Amino acid sequence: MKKECIDCGGELNIPDDAVVGEIVSCPDCGGDFEISSTSNGSMDLKRAESVGEDWGE
Amino acid sequence: MIVIKIGGSIVEGLHPSAILDIKNLLKDEKIVLVHGGGKEVTNIGNKLGKEQRFIVSPTGVRSRYTDKETAEIYTMVMSGKINKSIVRMLLNNGIPAVGISGIDGATIKAERKKKLIILNENGRKMAIDGGYTGKIKNVESSLIKLLVTNNFVPVVSPIALSEEIEFLNVDGDRAAAYIAGSLQADKVIFITNVNGLMLNGELVKNMNYDTAKESIPKIGYGMEKKVLACTESLEMGVTETIIASGNVENPISTAISHFNCTVISK
Repeated sequence: MKKECIDCGGELNIPDDAVVGEIVSCPDCGGDFEISSTSNGSMDLKRAESVGEDWGE
Repeated sequence: MIVIKIGGSIVEGLHPSAILDIKNLLKDEKIVLVHGGGKEVTNIGNKLGKEQRFIVSPTGVRSRYTDKETAEIYTMVMSGKINKSIVRMLLNNGIPAVGISGIDGATIKAERKKKLIILNENGRKMAIDGGYTGKIKNVESSLIKLLVTNNFVPVVSPIALSEEIEFLNVDGDRAAAYIAGSLQADKVIFITNVNGLMLNGELVKNMNYDTAKESIPKIGYGMEKKVLACTESLEMGVTETIIASGNVENPISTAISHFNCTVISK
């Protein structure tokens, strides 16, 4: 599935089997977007939160 | 004052002389111990029938996933079995140790991670619930100071309190760094199973803050967290940070003398 980048309008290639929570990156601007919902073959995206690696013991 | 980070067992991975070394140093120095113990948490979790789940970050870091039940096991093992075993070993050698966790006296406060980014089974990045891990925000060191002032050796386990008063799994190296910063310690020593930071096959004996910051992306996981903890300690006002082996005779005083270890300072 192809979708337009929220930030730059670039083309995002989203695997057909992608699920809610997966992150897709824009090849043009490098932005990360999280799939927030899927229904009837369409997907909604939101900007992914920046999460540092601080994992505990 | 010296903050020393050790692993989860004062026996395993530490030279038998380590405890008497600490006892000798106490004649001239105040000492605070911070411990780790992830492996023991995994062992006990498995024995309790709670198989530990591990997740992989996009940069390949494999870590425990701390759900609510795991956070309870983590707290139980860290502040119970591990912390008290270390305290008992110190007491057995005449060192007046007191075990606390970061929860006690609200010593370590952290922000619970709302989300974690992992690689899913398809090898793609995915956001999942953050569970009960946290990033340390603040150390309130009044309780530690009270103990140290009264000649006790605090032994601190890396459990933090969230804003919602939950138990959080926090990294022991970072906990040691933040405690050292809060105490304005002279030194923080990260005792590990190697002599220090290796770069290009050679032991780095000295490194300044700027070089250490630049080197972090080039360093393998595990040591990279210790170097990060060193730079954070320096940012918070600690004068000197040392990464050293626990497997040598008198490992703490050997590290203080800068023999065969990595010293990172400003």
